[in-house]
Amino acid sequence: MNRKIRVTVNGTARAVEVPTYRTLLDCLRNDLGLTGSKEGCGVGVCGACTVLLDGKMISSCIALAVSADGHEVTTVEGLAGDERLHPVQQAFIDAGGFQCGICTPGQVVSAKALLDANPNPSDAEIREWMLGNLCRCTGYYKIIESIRAAAQRSRA
Amino acid sequence: MAHRIIGKPIGRVDGTEKVSGAARYSGDVSVPGLIWGKALRSPLPHARIARIDVTRAKALPGVLAVLTAKDLPGILVGRRMFDMPLLARERVRFIGEKVAVVAAADPDVAEEATTLIDVEYEDLPAVIDPEAATVAGAPVVHDDPGAYEGAPAERPHANVQSVLRFKLGDVQAGFREAARTFEHTFRTQLAHQGYLEPHAGVVAIDEDGRVQVWASNKMPFRLKELLSHALQLPQEKIRVNLTPIGGDFGGKGSLMDLPLAYHLARVTGRPVKMVMRYAEELMAGNPRHPSVITLRTGVSRDGQIVARSVRALFNSGAYAAFKPAPSVSLGGASMGAGVYRIPNLLIESFCVYTNNIPCGHARSPGEPQMVFAEESHMDMIARELALDPAEFRRRNLLRDGDHLANGHHLEHVRAGDTLEAALKASEYSEPKPGPWIGRGMAMTHRHIGVGFTNAVVRLGTDGRVTLRIALPDTGTGAHLVLRQVVAEVLGVAMDDVEIELATTDDFATDSGVGGSRVTHTGGRAAYHAAEKLKAQIEAEAAKLGVPADSLAAIARAAAREGRTLEASHFYDAKAHGAVTSFTAQVAEVAVDPQTGQVTVRRFTTTHDVGTVINPLGHQGQIEGGLIQGLGFALMEEIKTEEGRISTLSLGDVKLPTIQDIPPLTTVILEDPVGPGPFNAKAIGEGSISAVAPAIANAVADACGARILDLPITAEKVYFALKEKERRP
Amino acid sequence: MRAFEYAAPRTLDEALAVLREHGDEARVIAGGTALVTMMRQRLVSPGYLVSLRDIRGLDRIEADNGGIRIGALATHRDVETSPLVRERLPVLAETFRRVASVRIRNMATVGGALAHADPNQDPPVTLIALGARVEICGTDGRRALPVEEFFRDYYESALEPGEVVIGVVVPQLAPASGAAYVKFLPRTADDYATVAVAATVSVDPDGERCRAARIALGSVGVTPIRARGAEGLLAGQRFGAELLRGAGEAVKGAVDPLSDHRGSAAYKREMAGVMVGRALTRAWDAALVSARGTR
Repeated sequence: MNRKIRVTVNGTARAVEVPTYRTLLDCLRNDLGLTGSKEGCGVGVCGACTVLLDGKMISSCIALAVSADGHEVTTVEGLAGDERLHPVQQAFIDAGGFQCGICTPGQVVSAKALLDANPNPSDAEIREWMLGNLCRCTGYYKIIESIRAAAQRSRA
Repeated sequence: MAHRIIGKPIGRVDGTEKVSGAARYSGDVSVPGLIWGKALRSPLPHARIARIDVTRAKALPGVLAVLTAKDLPGILVGRRMFDMPLLARERVRFIGEKVAVVAAADPDVAEEATTLIDVEYEDLPAVIDPEAATVAGAPVVHDDPGAYEGAPAERPHANVQSVLRFKLGDVQAGFREAARTFEHTFRTQLAHQGYLEPHAGVVAIDEDGRVQVWASNKMPFRLKELLSHALQLPQEKIRVNLTPIGGDFGGKGSLMDLPLAYHLARVTGRPVKMVMRYAEELMAGNPRHPSVITLRTGVSRDGQIVARSVRALFNSGAYAAFKPAPSVSLGGASMGAGVYRIPNLLIESFCVYTNNIPCGHARSPGEPQMVFAEESHMDMIARELALDPAEFRRRNLLRDGDHLANGHHLEHVRAGDTLEAALKASEYSEPKPGPWIGRGMAMTHRHIGVGFTNAVVRLGTDGRVTLRIALPDTGTGAHLVLRQVVAEVLGVAMDDVEIELATTDDFATDSGVGGSRVTHTGGRAAYHAAEKLKAQIEAEAAKLGVPADSLAAIARAAAREGRTLEASHFYDAKAHGAVTSFTAQVAEVAVDPQTGQVTVRRFTTTHDVGTVINPLGHQGQIEGGLIQGLGFALMEEIKTEEGRISTLSLGDVKLPTIQDIPPLTTVILEDPVGPGPFNAKAIGEGSISAVAPAIANAVADACGARILDLPITAEKVYFALKEKERRP
Repeated sequence: MRAFEYAAPRTLDEALAVLREHGDEARVIAGGTALVTMMRQRLVSPGYLVSLRDIRGLDRIEADNGGIRIGALATHRDVETSPLVRERLPVLAETFRRVASVRIRNMATVGGALAHADPNQDPPVTLIALGARVEICGTDGRRALPVEEFFRDYYESALEPGEVVIGVVVPQLAPASGAAYVKFLPRTADDYATVAVAATVSVDPDGERCRAARIALGSVGVTPIRARGAEGLLAGQRFGAELLRGAGEAVKGAVDPLSDHRGSAAYKREMAGVMVGRALTRAWDAALVSARGTR
């Protein structure tokens, strides 16, 4: 029950044959070698597997790879330019927005989607948007600061 | 002394890999030919295994191996006490215990195969409650625990794993002196560390028989020793490769599935990856021990504590294997003495076998449990004595020259300063802004960890410096701290110091990460290695007649003579020094009288610390620990019913979210007297333990409801308020 | 996950035909947030999945006789951010906003959530209070029924084999009416409700008395429920603490909660009474604003 699917991943067209039961996360990690997205809770709660599907955040751990057939996926590996990190990534470094880093790919993908949708978010809007990205290390204070800083930098 | 780099809030300059997804955690490791292992787990808390039939599983297309206990040597594993089989043999002792393991090229096929293994069980009477486990006639979890390697000698009951005692003075005489005596009993919940990286590991056997391991394990050398024992292989046959660890919080020091991955690799000839699902973490990780703690305190007429006895019962579950301390117990029990001078003290702590998930170490092991009990007890006594809780504490705080429960004598005691700073910053004595609002405080202290760490510092011919260590990055920012130390000593820029991670082949031993150790022991190793290198550089510079900061020229000159400028240091701190770090916290909460819901309106945390090497990382440790403490206080609980965990996902066990954090005020009292480099102390475990009692005390202040068991749910507060209405 | 066949037809008719062909083996998948999670947990293992994702036009949100029709494939986030919903039925946008996280709301669909029939969800509660109807399509044709009649038991809906939810029609509020959704979250902000209440209140033109009210609750039993007994107490009455207490008591008698990690049955019953009072207060306030606007 394998399927051949075509997915544009971080701007590159990829074709891959997967069993129908393959999650998008496992497809990215094991079939396409993109291990930046992580499996934490495995039930869509923690956000470590967050990727963008056609520009919108989803939980790739509870999405079937076959459902991404014909669509565009952006993972953490696709955020940085050739030379430079995305402003969100740089801000997480500068402001201490991560510690162990396991939730960080999901955090920065979500934060990027936030700033794409709302370049100047209030703290309340940051908290609402980022609700689904759990972090066990930072206590979130520096994640909020990181996103504030990234927004500021993007505006400058 | 002014520093160039120490004390500067340097961002995570080591973080590019983490924000870009390039960092390879153990679950990300891929090697050619990799296959997947998956365990079948027991559905029963206590049963005899009558029969296992793997025929159907083996027949599933894609399955490469199925192993049960009869295929494996009868080795028992553990960290100090070796009581756990690789796979259950004849008997299962908790729901989630591994019974069989499957290998397949596709992880879903491996999982599917586990459902095709037929196991016939015969129920045995289970013992779930730790108090019931220690009465005469209780079902026995292990027939002869005293026979296990590493088992402590004292065993008042077959279900007692260990007894830990702390004693000062004469407790009976002390109670005879007391004007009043108070006794309260508290309970804390089963709680997971909450790291978002479930345990993962890869085991590959090289052609020459060497075993390569990548694992979420923070103590690589201890892991090598334990694997050598578990796999019956000489240590030289095993190499542990370091990977970043996706959150530790005390939980990433056990073998977990690695021996099974090895045996699957052995029988299939393929490298094997095993990654626990989060549901497996919640049913069979190594979570924080639930506890039942009774404190009894005798107080003199003038409000001085004259005696205290503490009895703690930790529900350790079915195995002792996950506890790393030689006592096979939790050192946090010593916090039964709090931060107070108690002339006559007896703490007795029991770790008890039951048919539950085996528990292990979690950030400041045993302390959040004991500090909740102890600091709630302090407030309850103060209320009975009609004393302000701050005043009652003041009268009893530790002072210079006093002894801790474990006998260590203390200097530079700043308990009082820390308390006063917290009271001031929190406006503790100001009028409260409205009804149903309360304030509560709690205090604790945490030692500076000890251990032994290697550091090698090398000057490259490009003038850059490499620091070689075997400490995995668990996310605490330790690598950055060590780079700062080396850069400061050698007078180079941060960017000119890079970390090179060694493997277990490269040093004889190393105690790894944990126990608030690394800034101290790793920092001192790096410091001394850098000092030695600096001396070499200065000698070379003098010989060459060049300035000592011409690093590249000096290194190249040495290289021309076939020499590398390199220095190493093995730093071994055996005993805790005479300083500790105090914490005082104040919570301000609002209680909704109609629902019992507790909202933390603001939180103040005050820390007596040594030299702060990196303020950004230091603050990150405080904030992260504090929010873990908040979760422990209000939200988190692994619920069990007759040994069966009913909350098997992070949708049910709730970790605090970004919307659940209170406005925070942090006060740092820097006092450069620590044993670490540049007189640093430790911070990683300083902010977690006092949060729950500060909140419990604030809730009592707000509405009069005293919650004696964690977490402090809205429901408990609501029914406590109802009870108060009925019996005012 | 266990292996399964997968089809992603382009039309509803095709989807219905595949469903009929595969009978009990087949399950419909839309956003997949609930179904894939349950499949990963091996709570369900269908042999055939029929995805509705590629069917065009099933995700529209459009005006319908003064109310709003929401296609089954509209995501929770679509409803939450729809200008039409925000203008005409802000309570509905607010209800969808309270579901899980933005990420899950990007995935979960309106039809999928209804068909999942989880009694702890947010949207059904408000849909019942608003008097919404669910539209169902099978090979034998279409039918519609009130959302409150759609839920039959724990995770069990009125869908017959081979039927799919294709949309939900939400009527506009009557003049001089207000609505409110109250989600009681005593643990974390991303949790399911311990108790959820939606209420609508219509007042007299002078705003003095309640003309009619509708009350629905979630997380208080095996299905979301409508509290008709409490509704009956409100008609013709003036607003006041006594009235709210009466409504709360009536609701406490009507609910039959399950104990779980979000609270014991006894606690949820108590909270149902409290939250009904809060929802009615807010709905009544909104109704007064609405009444002033129409005068």
